[in-house]
Formats: sequence, C-alpha cells, structure tokens
Amino acid sequence: MQVHARARDYPQSQFGGVLPHEAELTAGVRIQPGRSYGFFTDTTRCIGCKACEVACKEWNNLPADNVGLTGMSYDNTGALSANTWRHVAFVEKIAGPGGGPAEMPPYQSQWLMMSDLCKHCHNPPCLEACPTGALFKTEFDTVVVQQDICNGCGYCVPACPFGVVELSETDGKAHKCTLCYDRLKGGLEPACAKSCPTDSIQFGEIADLQSRAAERVEQLHGLGVASAYLYGAPGSPGATGDLGHLNAFFLLTDAPEVYNLPRAPTRASNRVRPSLATGLATMAGFALAAIALLGRRA
Amino acid sequence: MSDAYRGETYYGRSQLKPSPFGFMVSLYIYLAGLSGSAQMLATIGDLFGGRAARGMVRRGRWLAMLGTVCGPALLIADLHTPQRFYNMLRILRTSSPMSIGSYILTTFGLTSTVTAAAQFLADRCGWRRLLGVARAASVPASVAGAGLSVYTAALQSSTSTPHWAVSPRSLAMRYGASSLATAAAALSLGEHRFGDPRTARRLDALAFGALLVEWIASARARGDLRRTGVAAALSGSAPERLERAAAGWGTLLPAGLFGASLLLGDRGRRASRSASLLTLASGLALRHAIMLAGNESARRPAASFAMAQPRNLPHMES
Ligand code: SF4
Repeated sequence: MQVHARARDYPQSQFGGVLPHEAELTAGVRIQPGRSYGFFTDTTRCIGCKACEVACKEWNNLPADNVGLTGMSYDNTGALSANTWRHVAFVEKIAGPGGGPAEMPPYQSQWLMMSDLCKHCHNPPCLEACPTGALFKTEFDTVVVQQDICNGCGYCVPACPFGVVELSETDGKAHKCTLCYDRLKGGLEPACAKSCPTDSIQFGEIADLQSRAAERVEQLHGLGVASAYLYGAPGSPGATGDLGHLNAFFLLTDAPEVYNLPRAPTRASNRVRPSLATGLATMAGFALAAIALLGRRA
Repeated sequence: MSDAYRGETYYGRSQLKPSPFGFMVSLYIYLAGLSGSAQMLATIGDLFGGRAARGMVRRGRWLAMLGTVCGPALLIADLHTPQRFYNMLRILRTSSPMSIGSYILTTFGLTSTVTAAAQFLADRCGWRRLLGVARAASVPASVAGAGLSVYTAALQSSTSTPHWAVSPRSLAMRYGASSLATAAAALSLGEHRFGDPRTARRLDALAFGALLVEWIASARARGDLRRTGVAAALSGSAPERLERAAAGWGTLLPAGLFGASLLLGDRGRRASRSASLLTLASGLALRHAIMLAGNESARRPAASFAMAQPRNLPHMES
C-alpha cells in the first residue's frame, strides 16, 4: 500500500492525541457517516500470526475464552464467540501415505489460514430477528448490538447463518464484532486491520474493496492460483439466498466448508411469511371444521 | 431425494450456534398452542354451539388463562436479562416472529383476561349481561389464539437452524394441528367428566381429524428434511428418535383410540380419556423433540453444510 500524502504532515514519532482522520494514514480511507465500510480478508496473505485476535481482545477489553490446546493445528481459539470476535482458522493439508507433495504450488497451497469474523451482512438475519431493536445498522453500514437495549432473548444466535453472535454467560447479553464502531466514530481504522502485518485484512469502503479484491483474484489467476475466488462479494458463494453482499468478505482458495463457511447461506426472514401464512390457513381450516361440528345445535 | 453431506468440515466443529432455548421454551410453545386453540374452540362454541356448548365454552376460557399466566412467565424467565423484558414491546419488527409473537401474546393475554373475568363474574354474581362482554373480548382473543398456535413454528423456521429452517410450511401445519388436537383433547376430558357427552364426542372427532393432519404434516416435514440432506445428518440421534415417536405413535395411537371411542358411542368414554391424555402428552413431546432436534442439527456441520448447498436455493420446500 502506498503511503498517504498526509503522512508528511506528521514526521514525529509520538503524538499528543489521536490524529484527525487517522484511518487516512493507516488505511488510505477517510471514515464518513453515510458510507459503507467493511473488510476484505485476503487469505492468501494470512500468515496465521493472530495479531488481529490479540488487537481485537485488547481494544474491546474481551476476556479469554479458553486457555489450552485444541489439537487442531495452531487453532487454539476454536470458534467465534461472545468474547472472541476474530478467529484465525488453520487447515494443514497433509498429503496421504508416501509423504508430502514433491512440489508446492505458491500461496498457501498446503496450509490455509483465514481470519474469520462477523460478516456484517447486507441483509443481516441477526438484526431481522432481533425483537428489541438492540441490533441495528450503524451510519457506517455495519451491524452492532446495543448493549443497553439487548435483553438476552438469544433469538439472534440461531438466526445468524454463520454461527457468529452468542450470548455471554457473564452479562446475559448478545455480543459480536462491532467493526470497531467506537474507532470508526473517531476516524480510526478497526484494530484488527490496523494490526495486520501482511495486509491480509484490508479495511475500506465496500465498493473500493470489492474492486481491489476482483483485481487480486485476477492477479492470482495470472500467477497460476486457479483456485482463488471471492466469498461474500456480490454474486459469489456466501452472498446467496437474498443475504445480499457481505461487508466482511474473503478471498479463498479452497471449498468454503474447509474454512467452516456455508456455501449457500440464506436470509432467514424470507421464511416468516410462508410459515405464518400456512399456519394461519391451517387454523382457518380447523375453525371451519369446528363450526361445522360444534355448530349443530343439540 | 438427496443424501448426506460427505464433504470436508472444519475438524468436525459446528458451523452454526444452537439456539439457547430449552425445555422452558418447548413448554411455552406447547401451552401457547393449547391455550390459543382452546380459546378459539370456546369462541366457536359460544357463537355457534348454543346451550349445549356452554360448559365447554366456560372451560375453554379457563384453559386460555393457562397460556396467559404461564406463557409470559416462562418467556421472561428464559431471558438472560429478564429485568428488561419490556423491551420486547419497544418496537414492532415484521421480519421477526419473536416480535410479532410478543404482540400476539400481549393481545391474547389482555383479551383472554377480560373474557375470563367477565365469565367468572357472570357465573358467580349472576351478572348475565357480562356474558356479552366476554363474547366481545373472546373474538379478538381467539384470532390472537389462532396466531399463538402457529407463530412459534414461524419463529423456529425463520432461523438458520437446519432442522427448523428446511420445513417452514410443514412445521406450521404440525404446530397448528397439534395445538388444536391438544385443545380439543383437554376440552373433551372436561366434557366427558362434567359436561355434555355429545359435545365431548364432537370434540373427539375434531381431535381425531387434527391428529391425522398432524401426522400428514409430519410426513411432509420428513420429506423436506430428507430432500435437503438434513435428515441423514441427524439419523440415529436421540432427538430424532423422540421426534419419530411423538410424530408417529404419538398421533396414530390416540387417533385410533379416538376413532374407536367414536364407534363405541357411550361405551367409548375410557378410550376417549386415554386418547386425550396421550394427545396431551405427545403434544409436549413433539415440541420438545423438535426443539432438541433443531439444536442438535445446528451443532452438526453435516446438517448445516447439507442445508447450505446451492441446490437447496432459493426455495427449500417442494
Ligand atoms: S454474520 Fe451473523 S452476526 Fe454478523 S451481521 Fe451477519 S447475521 Fe449478523
């Protein structure tokens, strides 16, 4: 990434406070309400350092989930949860008997790593399920749980097609990634993206990120990585079933399921009408039958 | 017909999170359906049934109080921040059956309370005029009652939980039929004991029909589950076996007993009573089995990955 022209204005190495529009310097984007922001996570650049996990925990003051070894490659985090809003997945592709492959195609061909998070869906099922209005779309087109409204009904948990949002046992509220709502308000790049040393996590305006991602796929195809594709960009896997695009989308090189992602998720609220209509029609039928049976005055 | 998901998973870990709902919510779904349908039957008896239905109408209105009193208590107890229960009425969100249901339950509770109170005062103090009030309040109560019998199916189907999501229509039919069968069965019990045997038999016939509809709807749901590959991921699990029992024997056995009791006429009272008790038990078993099967399907990646295949887009039902 190129250094922003404004960088010249700040030659010193220590600052008294937050720089105005700091994201311009760190991510090349000025954060303004009313625009769409998100992440493009390019898994071919991920080195599995988990800086994003750590930065997220630190900035958001999130407690540790479990301190132990899972035995699943280097993934000791396991899954996203109420306290874990970034999760780096590790998939070691070990060849069968006879040893490893003689030749390794470039770009993560034998070891996949992906930093997962809330997808900030365009039509978010968690929000559409929320009966209190605690879940809402922010002025940055991201999806956030308002902690002072959530009453812990837990309906967003099964609604999410990606298994992201979860109730916390500690405070009885639903929690998930806020896309650093507080930082965006202050003009700062989200903590995970800022800490990512390889720019695997790129923060920016959605339209911008989508064209950047398409270019990257082209580039990788040119380099011989035919398996590269986008997940969650318009018209691609992940952005299916009326969910719309995902504001946090990915570049993958293997099947979505390998990364624990659904290939064709759907928008849960599309099932409200057919279900309610069928149910009410059933009840209307029974009401008529009851009128016929009980109505014969004895 | 399609088969199980056999592709890769991420160390066999869940791809979805199961709902945090357990037995309290299953019990709520059951009682809400029973009470809602009882109110509906009572109102129909009141409007069309004449004198003979009076006892049934009264008992139906009492039964509706079960859901009115226990329903909100169960739901509030299930919240993880119960002191904020009133936030359920903070907004109305038509994309959320839980929001729609909060208003249905509130309407049902208020109108059912007025109905039952007017009935009580008319019975105890002889203020017959209040029966008109009861009737006026019971009409909106029974419309809300019909909603209460089925919205819980929409609530479960409008999630990403595979077992619930793949059969939105069939699940609503199952819950509607089971709600009506349990209400008719409960009212028939009361009628056989204290009331009018002819009304009891008509309720038995209604329960019989509803159980058959439930059986058909369950068969349809099984078709939905098989076609989408979710059934294969759950086969042999405990919730699946409980569901099969509740949807199979739980409907056919009481239906057979109701049928026998109808054929036997006055001598069929014992058969009718057993059928009613069985219906009431299997209704609760059905709700809890579906709750457990749903949660289990969310835990199993083979179920969620099977559901989320492109061939299941955009309409997962036939
Ligand atoms: S990924 Fe899940 S939690 Fe995040 S916005 Fe989409 S539905 Fe909501």
